[in-house]
Amino acid sequence: MKFVATAGDRAQTVEISGGRGQYRVTIGEQVWEVDARPTPQGIYSLLIGGVSYVADVTEREDVAIVEVGGEIYAVKVEEATRYVIRTRGGPVAGPGPQTLVAPLPGRITHVAVKTGDRVRAGDMLLVIEAMKMENEFKASAAGTVSEVRVQAGQPVNAGDVLLVIA
Amino acid sequence: MTIAKVLVANRGEIAVRIIRACREAGIGAVAIFSEADRDALHVQMADEAYPIGPSPATESYLAAEKIVGVAKAAGADAVHPGYGFLAENAAFAEACAEAGLTFIGPPPAAIRAMGDKTAARRIARELGVPLVPGTLEPVAGDEATRAAARKIGYPVMVKAVLGGGGKGMRLVRREEELAGALRLARGEAQSAFGDASIYLERALAEPRHIEVQVLADGQGCVVHLGERECSIQRRHQKLVEESPSPFVDAALRERLGEAACRIAQAAAYVNAGTVEFLVDAEGNFYFLEMNTRLQVEHPVTELVTGIDLVREQLRIAGGEPLGYGQPDVRGRGVAIECRINAEDPFAGWLPSPGTIRGLRVPSGPWVRDDSGVYEGYTVSRFYDTLLAKLIVWGTDRAAAIDRMARGLAEYKVVGVRTTIPMLERIMAHPDFRAGRLSTGFLDRVMPDLGAGQGRHASIALIAAVLAQYERLGRGTLAAPPPSPWRQAARPGWRGRPE
Repeated sequence: MKFVATAGDRAQTVEISGGRGQYRVTIGEQVWEVDARPTPQGIYSLLIGGVSYVADVTEREDVAIVEVGGEIYAVKVEEATRYVIRTRGGPVAGPGPQTLVAPLPGRITHVAVKTGDRVRAGDMLLVIEAMKMENEFKASAAGTVSEVRVQAGQPVNAGDVLLVIA
Repeated sequence: MTIAKVLVANRGEIAVRIIRACREAGIGAVAIFSEADRDALHVQMADEAYPIGPSPATESYLAAEKIVGVAKAAGADAVHPGYGFLAENAAFAEACAEAGLTFIGPPPAAIRAMGDKTAARRIARELGVPLVPGTLEPVAGDEATRAAARKIGYPVMVKAVLGGGGKGMRLVRREEELAGALRLARGEAQSAFGDASIYLERALAEPRHIEVQVLADGQGCVVHLGERECSIQRRHQKLVEESPSPFVDAALRERLGEAACRIAQAAAYVNAGTVEFLVDAEGNFYFLEMNTRLQVEHPVTELVTGIDLVREQLRIAGGEPLGYGQPDVRGRGVAIECRINAEDPFAGWLPSPGTIRGLRVPSGPWVRDDSGVYEGYTVSRFYDTLLAKLIVWGTDRAAAIDRMARGLAEYKVVGVRTTIPMLERIMAHPDFRAGRLSTGFLDRVMPDLGAGQGRHASIALIAAVLAQYERLGRGTLAAPPPSPWRQAARPGWRGRPE
C-alpha cells in the first residue's frame, strides 16, 4: 500500500506491505524490514534491522506526532491517491497570517500588543504563566496585529488561538 | 522530643523522598494533597493522606494555617516542609512551633535572616566573606533601579529578595532590557514568594555555581559535607549537579567549607542548609545566598558522603547531637544528578504537562531514581516541571558520566516531553566531560546540542506510516501483549506493616 508522508516541506512516497507484526517498508530506494509490537498505551516497540526503537505515535488533527529517541517529528500521512488529488493544483499557498496558538494550558499574565500594532520578528507578544514559569512568546516574522483574542489574567487551554498577525 | 509522626508539607518527588526516610526511621508519614494531586505518588506512599484544598498552590500547599490544622488533627508531632512552597517561610515555622509541632528545619530567626537575600548579603559582608557586587538593600521604583544598575555596571542580574529556585531572576545585558526584566521578575516573585521586592547584582562572566552543604545540630556543632557544582542551568534553574566539583581542590574546598560554616554559625543555624557561591576562573569565590532547607540536589552529597541528609534532618529536629565532626566527613568517588523535567528543551524549555503513557525507569548498579510519578500519572499544569531526579555514583568523574549516560538511555518517558534528550547530549559533550563548566554552559553549547535532531527521521516516517496502515486495518496486528514496561513502572503498593 502506498502512502505519501510529509515531514516539514519534504514529501516522500512510502510503500508498506505485510502484517501481524512483520512489515516491509520502502522509502525511495531503501527497503526496511520492520518487526513491530504495539503496547496498550499505543507505543510501538520497533526492531528495524536488529536495532531496537521505542516510538510513540499520537494523532493531532490530521498529523501524526512521532517521538523516537528523544526526537519529535510531525508527519502527515496520506494515501498516495489522496495526496495526488490534494496537490494537483501545485503547492498550496505561501506563508499566510501568523497565528499564535497556546502550546500549553496556563494563564495569560501580560499582553504586550494591541490590534493594529506593527511588530517585527522577535518582538514580545505576550506572556503565559504555566507550571510556575513565565513563558514569553515572540513574533516569528514582521506584520500587523490583526486580532488579539485574550487579555491578561485569562486562563487558556492548549490549542486556543491567542492572536493573529497578518 | 522524639518524633513519631511527620506531616510532609509538600508534593512530588521530594514528598516521596521524605516519606521514605520516615519509613526507614520507623516514623509515621502524613501526606497532604490538593485537588489536582489525589492521584499523586506521595499520597499512595504515605501512611495517611488528607486533602488540603484547591489545585492552585496558594490555596493548598501554601495555605499555612490549613496545613498546621491538618497536622494537629492527624496527631503529627513534626512538619517537614521539603523545598519550595513553605520551606523558607519563617511565619510558617513559627506557626508550627506555636501549635506545638516541631518544624524540621532551622529556627525562624535563621530563616528570616537568610530568606531576605539582601539581609544575608549584609551578614556575609560583616563576616568578611566576599560578595558579588550589588545592592545591599532592595531596590524600588524604575528610576532608582536604573540608577543602581548603572552604578553596578551591566550586565546585571535582577533577583527576588525572597527568591530561590531561580524564580524571579533575570539577566539584563543593557539598560533597554531593564524595564521588561523587572516586570517579569516582579511578576514571578509575586506569584512564587508572595512578595515582588527585587535587588540587583553584577552578573559575573561565566562563573561556576558551587554550593556547600552544611549540617548543624542544636548543640552548636556545625560541619560541612563538601560542595556540589550546579553550573549546568537553564533559565537560572539547575539541570545537572555533581559532587565534588571538578574545579575544587582540597585547599579551595577547605576555604569554601570554612566560609559556609561561619555564615551558618553567624545565623545561629540549626539543621541542614546550603551556602551558595559563585566561583570565577581564578578560584575567587563570592557568597550568593544561603538556602535554609533541603536542596533538590541533596542526593549527590548523600552518595558521596554516605550520609542520609533527610535522616539527619529528622535526628537534628528530634534534638539529637550530630555525633561526628569535620574530620569524620569524607567523600568518596563522584556523584551526578540530572533533573528529569516535563519540558521541551528544543522548544525554549516550554513546560509539557500531560499524561505519562509509558514509563521505563533505569536501575542497575549505583543508579538511583528519585521520582514523584508513575505510568498513567497526569502531570498537572499547576506545579513545577520536575518529574524525577536520576542520580548515579562512580569511582571517578568519567565513570559517573558514563553511568549517567547509560541511565539516561534506559529512561523512557512517553506522553510528555522531557529534558532527557538534552541531558544525554550534555553527558556526551566534550566540555562537560572535561569539566569545563560555567553557568553560561548551556547557552553557549545549545546551538550544537540541538543540531542532532534528525537522526531518526526515517524511523519516524516508518512509525507514522505503520500506525496509519494499522489504523486502516491492513496489517491486523494481534491484540497488544501486556506492557513489557509494567513491572518497572508501578509504584510499590504496600500493605500495612502490621
